Amino acid sequence: MDAIALENVTKSYESVTAVSGVNLRVRQGAVLGLLGPNGAGKTTTIRMVMNILAPDEGSIHVLGKPVSDESRDSIGYLPEERGLYPRMKIRSLIVFLGALHGLSEAEADRRAREWLDRFELGEWSEKKMIDLSKGMQQKVQFITSVLHKPPIVILDEPFSGLDPVNASTIKDVMLEMRDQGSTIILSTHRMEQVEKMCDSICLINKGRSVLDGELRAIKQSYGKNTVHIEFTGSDAFLNHPAIASINRFGVGVEAKLKPGADPQDILKTAVQSGVQINRFELLEPSLSDIFIEKTAHA
Amino acid sequence: MHKLWLIIKREYVTRVKTKGFVIGTVIVPLIGIGFTFLIVFLVSHQSRQSLRLVIVDNAGGLAPSVAAGLQTKMPDGTARFNVVDSIDRPASLAAAQDDLRAKINSGALDAYLVLPNDLSQPVELHTKNLGNFSLLGQLSAAVNQVVVEARLRARGIHVDDVRDLVRSADLQVIKVSKTGESVEKGQTIGVAIALVILLYTTLLMYGIITMRSVLEEKTTRTMEVLISAVTPSELLAGKILGVAGVAFTQFLIWTASLALLGSYGAAMATMGGGSSILSALHVPASLLLCALVYFFGGYFLYSSMFAAVGAACSNEQDAAQLQWIAMAPLVFTMVIYSLVLNDPASRASIVLSEIPFFAPVLMPLRVSLQAPPAWQLALSITLLFLSIGAVIYGSAKIYRVGILMYGKRPTLPELVRWLRYS
Repeated sequence: MDAIALENVTKSYESVTAVSGVNLRVRQGAVLGLLGPNGAGKTTTIRMVMNILAPDEGSIHVLGKPVSDESRDSIGYLPEERGLYPRMKIRSLIVFLGALHGLSEAEADRRAREWLDRFELGEWSEKKMIDLSKGMQQKVQFITSVLHKPPIVILDEPFSGLDPVNASTIKDVMLEMRDQGSTIILSTHRMEQVEKMCDSICLINKGRSVLDGELRAIKQSYGKNTVHIEFTGSDAFLNHPAIASINRFGVGVEAKLKPGADPQDILKTAVQSGVQINRFELLEPSLSDIFIEKTAHA
Repeated sequence: MHKLWLIIKREYVTRVKTKGFVIGTVIVPLIGIGFTFLIVFLVSHQSRQSLRLVIVDNAGGLAPSVAAGLQTKMPDGTARFNVVDSIDRPASLAAAQDDLRAKINSGALDAYLVLPNDLSQPVELHTKNLGNFSLLGQLSAAVNQVVVEARLRARGIHVDDVRDLVRSADLQVIKVSKTGESVEKGQTIGVAIALVILLYTTLLMYGIITMRSVLEEKTTRTMEVLISAVTPSELLAGKILGVAGVAFTQFLIWTASLALLGSYGAAMATMGGGSSILSALHVPASLLLCALVYFFGGYFLYSSMFAAVGAACSNEQDAAQLQWIAMAPLVFTMVIYSLVLNDPASRASIVLSEIPFFAPVLMPLRVSLQAPPAWQLALSITLLFLSIGAVIYGSAKIYRVGILMYGKRPTLPELVRWLRYS
């Protein structure tokens, strides 16, 4: 059973088609990166999964059942636009939102104390939201999205505005939840985070899913078409006909090969030209490259 | 239902705990009562200083009569007027006036009265302080009497007591109601106007509270989290019911203190203590009940519109510009209520008080003046609650769309289009 399944989902606002024929399956226990440029339709997709918006066409299933008001209690949601009642005390705020997700108030209170201690906010629990720093507010909001131990968590840019220590704490919690069987959907623009954390991705552009599947398989399908070269000597060999484009860095270059080209040819040419090769490495394309390619030419 | 209850509880508890609620509920009536007592105190302990007055009599022979007409005393026995001097036909009016003006400026005198030679000309009162209207009234009555007497005499009519002749007739108003007849001393009008102002301000106040509450959830983006847990209808209903609970609490406290004061006033009156202001506070329970029913009807009608306005806007400025949609009918009620006050049984009054947007203020007003037929009450309550249903349905639609929209303030046609969204 899939945690989330979207079939041919379409949603339009007045004259704009926000999401058009999107198919997406998120396997239970997966960490999915939901990617796409600004305005691609990510938020609309998330809102349809949360049953905040209804699709015009297609079907959405959460944990095997058609999406409904009840299915929302199985989802924890950290929206990109943060903000909670500024004048409510933190612990009662967390308890209130936990209770809205179906916890008893006593249980919500017990968990709230645990989480506040874990995030070193224990002594702030009677303070108002408005009295906290932005990073602390961010942590409180994260707590509210996971307090009810939802089997599915949707996190929209969870690390924005956090210092490395706090970002690492949040990352640990996410991995812990994954190990406990939760499904995590991470919507972000930070490709390096996706590469580190996600096992599958879905790339949405202009309302359509242009790429989805296991991250490793996607990268392999692109092949090792990039060579990282560090050398001393003339760079004349870089005019080799097999090289499509060159990206120069301080110590070396990244050469993108033409389709079907053999990297060994370049190595031979370089050695013959008398250049000293310090490093020669075949690379998979970065997610960032794939993102740019898929969204720029679509 | 459990989620709805949680929303209501949060809304109620956070509002009741605020300083604003405590101030509004406890301190405002206390200030009101305090002011009432202050006015009573001031009225009964008016300035003990008599008004020092000089009469300049250009006609001659009138000054003693005017002085005689000013023989009134304050409650503690001091004379209200002290006629320091009277100048009979001064040689030079200008010189006399210069002299008197200097005395007023130095504080030796409060005012001087100039009676003209020709009594068709106005009598002049020269004074530094124009504040005391009750003194002015007595002064004018005294002068009036003397002048009328002089005019009558000039035409050969001799009258012993002019005051008795020119006194205006008393009109006593007796209010007929089902419970009998009672002498009307203006308290019905007083209660009616107080009721109108109270209903108008509370409807407006609670409407705006609801609007700002919705707006706060939007501007702080709390909405994003809330709608991931509850439906927009639950959120809207919870908010309106939560604020209604706050209003009900406030009403209970006010009614209880009013009843307490009323019974205290009544007790004082039977004991002969006679605090007429307190006993005038006595409001019939049937009128209170009627006001309560119409207040809550009006509250649900207006606050759901205010909630929709709050949901449609993204900031306070936009909301301030769009709130006229919800406010207009209420403000219009204040423009037309005097029609009902003047003639509660007229056709216009009957029709206006049946219109659901005006009924919450105008029907209790009619009830306070003259009990309307039962069918009119029943019809207006039915119409009111049917409209509440329709308005809440429409508001909920605007609310559902609005809470997800940020950016430009919607125009009226856009709001209408939102109504048609599924």
